[in-house]
Amino acid sequence: MKNIIVIARNAFRETIRDRILYGILGFSLLYVAFTSLLAKISLNELVILKSFGLAGIYIFGSLVTIFLGSSIIYKEIERRTLYFVLSKPVSRLDVVVGKFFGLFLAVSLVIVVMALVYIGVIFLNGGGFDELGLLAVFYQILEAGIFVALLVFFSTIVTPLTSAIGAAMVLFAGHSMQSILHTAAQIGGPFYGFIQAVYYIFPNLDKFNIRNLVVHGISVPDVSIFYTIAYAVLYSCALIYLANVFLKLKEL
Amino acid sequence: MIELKNVKKSYGKRVIIDDLSLVIKKGSVFGFLGQNGAGKTTTIKMMVGIAAPDRGEILIGGENSQNVDTRENIGFMPEAPYFYDRLTGLEFVKFCGNLFKKHKSEKEYADILGETGIYEARNIPINKYSKGMKQRLGFAQVMVNDPDCIFLDEPLDGLDPLGRREIKKIILGLKARNKTVFFNSHILYDTEEICDEIGIIHGGKLLYSGGVKGFCKGESLEKKFVETVEAREK
Repeated sequence: MKNIIVIARNAFRETIRDRILYGILGFSLLYVAFTSLLAKISLNELVILKSFGLAGIYIFGSLVTIFLGSSIIYKEIERRTLYFVLSKPVSRLDVVVGKFFGLFLAVSLVIVVMALVYIGVIFLNGGGFDELGLLAVFYQILEAGIFVALLVFFSTIVTPLTSAIGAAMVLFAGHSMQSILHTAAQIGGPFYGFIQAVYYIFPNLDKFNIRNLVVHGISVPDVSIFYTIAYAVLYSCALIYLANVFLKLKEL
Repeated sequence: MIELKNVKKSYGKRVIIDDLSLVIKKGSVFGFLGQNGAGKTTTIKMMVGIAAPDRGEILIGGENSQNVDTRENIGFMPEAPYFYDRLTGLEFVKFCGNLFKKHKSEKEYADILGETGIYEARNIPINKYSKGMKQRLGFAQVMVNDPDCIFLDEPLDGLDPLGRREIKKIILGLKARNKTVFFNSHILYDTEEICDEIGIIHGGKLLYSGGVKGFCKGESLEKKFVETVEAREK
């Protein structure tokens, strides 16, 4: 456990010193602040403000995750920095879990910073304290957990570019599977069975999208929050387990 | 003591190490010599637990090198090491030190950087270090757990004469502290000066293991090495 914390702290420190992070974060903060102008154009319509604000946090949060996560293990293998770590009393599982937590913390921090600016913008535009908006951000952090685990998994087996493309595709599929499944159910036959299989393999990321509810002030039942947390934890654990298996199989 | 017993390693169908057996005495400096691709790095990676032998076993102080706990007592510097460039030298050695059970104080880490001659640069990001400074930092992280057995992969590679002299001085300093040093090299001139014993590997097979003088018999190490390798190829 101690080694996981040491590796996570190091991964976090490395990540938050990455210039790419500040580039994207700068753009994202400008964007969230810019939504204030959009609200003025749309006659102070808070729904527009919340909708664009939360979407911006999601898009920029996902971009940060892809940029920082696509090479997280791969570059350690390529540059052999992993040799320093694995020649010490550290298991490969420690590395995978430590890297996961380090990146997850960094991504969560970026999302929280964007969320604070968003909350400020909503407050200044007369929307009060948007606690439901914070719940949407919390759901996004849960989704980021799965996404980070996915990138850690990909980066143990493929190059950063392939990893980024693969993660972007899973992100798209994960948000589309529910509607694809619905359409497939109407078509029926073996195609429906195939789509059902794919549906259960890909993460159902739509579970984490409560932004539409939030902007219209609709709350989310507590039981749903519990299941969503459990889903995120279990899916992330499965991906981390697979990442560890592949890293163990790899000849370094 | 370090023991390799009938170690074999293949990548796919290609045999990299074939039935390698070696004994390295405690407190000695052992140079493992061979051409590029001879199997030196694969051997050292198995010794420090990064790779696993397909057959045979490697014992370090009587413990199997594949056990995670065995690594509490070893230090390893990879060839041409890359570092976490955004960390400072001090942050890096602290990170490495924190991976062991025994913790050191901030002052002790700074002292280790002092011993390797990069104390003044301790708070500078590693991406600003020269190649020689990085090599010294590699040595510093080797010493964070005060190990009994030290493994160095091509420690003299790519360094200028002054840099090589400094590294040789550090290796001899480790020997004076009764550390067992095992290092890979294809730079024979320097090896002759610092080794108690050598091993010569070619195509994954051990051609010689023993004292330097017994191998050279009054001739230069380089000449004898070339003769031995060429004789094997014929």
